[in-house]
Amino acid sequence: MRTTAISGSAQPRLTNGVRLQTDSITGKSVLLHPEGIIELNETAHEILSRCDGRTLDEIVQGLAQEYDADPKALATDVRETLADLHQRRLIEYA
Amino acid sequence: MSAHRPYALLAEITHRCPLHCPYCSNPTDYCRATASVADPEAGRRSACPTTALTPAHAKTNYGELSTEEWQRVIREAAALGVLQIGFSGGEPLARRDLPELVRAAREAKLYSNLITSGIGLDDTRVRALRDAGLDSVQLSFQSDDADLADKIAGAHAHERKLDVAANIRAAGIALSLNFVIHRRNIDRLPQMIELAEVLGAGRVELANVQFYGWAFLNRAVLLPTREQVDRARNIATAAKTRLAGMIDIFYVLPDYYETRPKPCLSGWGQRYLTVNPIGDVLPCSTASSAIPELRFENVRTRDLDWIWRESESFNRFRGTQWMPEPCRSCPQKEIDFGGCRCQAALLTENAANTDPVCEFSPNRAIVDEVLRNVHSSRNHAHDWTYRINPSAPSSFESSRALA
Repeated sequence: MRTTAISGSAQPRLTNGVRLQTDSITGKSVLLHPEGIIELNETAHEILSRCDGRTLDEIVQGLAQEYDADPKALATDVRETLADLHQRRLIEYA
Repeated sequence: MSAHRPYALLAEITHRCPLHCPYCSNPTDYCRATASVADPEAGRRSACPTTALTPAHAKTNYGELSTEEWQRVIREAAALGVLQIGFSGGEPLARRDLPELVRAAREAKLYSNLITSGIGLDDTRVRALRDAGLDSVQLSFQSDDADLADKIAGAHAHERKLDVAANIRAAGIALSLNFVIHRRNIDRLPQMIELAEVLGAGRVELANVQFYGWAFLNRAVLLPTREQVDRARNIATAAKTRLAGMIDIFYVLPDYYETRPKPCLSGWGQRYLTVNPIGDVLPCSTASSAIPELRFENVRTRDLDWIWRESESFNRFRGTQWMPEPCRSCPQKEIDFGGCRCQAALLTENAANTDPVCEFSPNRAIVDEVLRNVHSSRNHAHDWTYRINPSAPSSFESSRALA
């Protein structure tokens, strides 16, 4: 997977027609899109809730600080998660 | 808390439609639907309703639920756990109160999809729907070619749809293109995908026709050949790869040509519910016409919560206890749920049977016989029966049908 192809200054955001919401029954975070519903794990939720104009680098730094994690390892996770969501057209880059 | 909760509500807000597509999954017998409004007890057992039986509101609005009734249904659905609503029909734009219903959905935090022919969706209405909170539009096309598309729709619609697609894009609403694929248009799959690219759609649904309602009636004309289906599958697979990240391609398999049944609805009464124009609540939109022995509850007499949890119709095929052999002992039973109950009913006259598409079904020969006959019926457009509208007085303007 070409997870390094996206620049650190790219700003990931939800694709038009995709909504991030809390499922009131389960309390979990879900992505709503034209064809259905995707229940998010905690990592995906933490990343997507930061896709609000922040750059990829800023998202990684923010998460590293909050979770006291190694930014380098975290960057791989973030890029892989975003690449998967991008492939499924759930996010796009500004 | 019940183990099952619905995620999506299909709101069939009207069966009126300006198009006459012969593959429509709506019931061919609207009389019964009207009859159940006129006399809920006699309901589906009666033949066409007499004028004397039809209450005043049914005469003026086909017995359709009112704006207030739909708003209540939407709130009850959200309370049950529904996260998405699809406004469908018929043509949902035939109801002038659609923006009010979309607004109710938004207020209930539902994600709203409009599933439409686009006829009647001018720039003003697109913006009204967007402002009401509409999330996504699924616009149907019958082909990429105007002449063929209009022949299939039985109406002059194609050129107008092109304008509608542009209006939707201009309003900033997510656009999907929906194609129903059948023998007459399946060979134009590459051009149809190209149309989606040109129109800037984010998603394309290429759905091989499924045989319910009018499509079941027209099956002999609509069923593609095996060669057509094999080519289409390759084209769709290649396009999916080529357009990954740009256009999401969703290919619905031609299940008669499969050896295992589709996991219909992800199981009966598990994730989905449909409310039809008159308020009957169905586990599946085709169940009322395909499974005549099931009695459905109506939102005018019961709340949605009770219907979902307690009704006989929703519990009839829930889980796996109802399954006969070969499903009962099959390792796939939690994967395909025995296939489609409506298909079992339509093809074997018993909704509890294994979907006859399954290679293990003792009734698979019924499907094979249909496939064997596909080459013997060289049919043309005039051989199919166009979908007609429910008969009742109407101010709704339908497009001029092609003679």
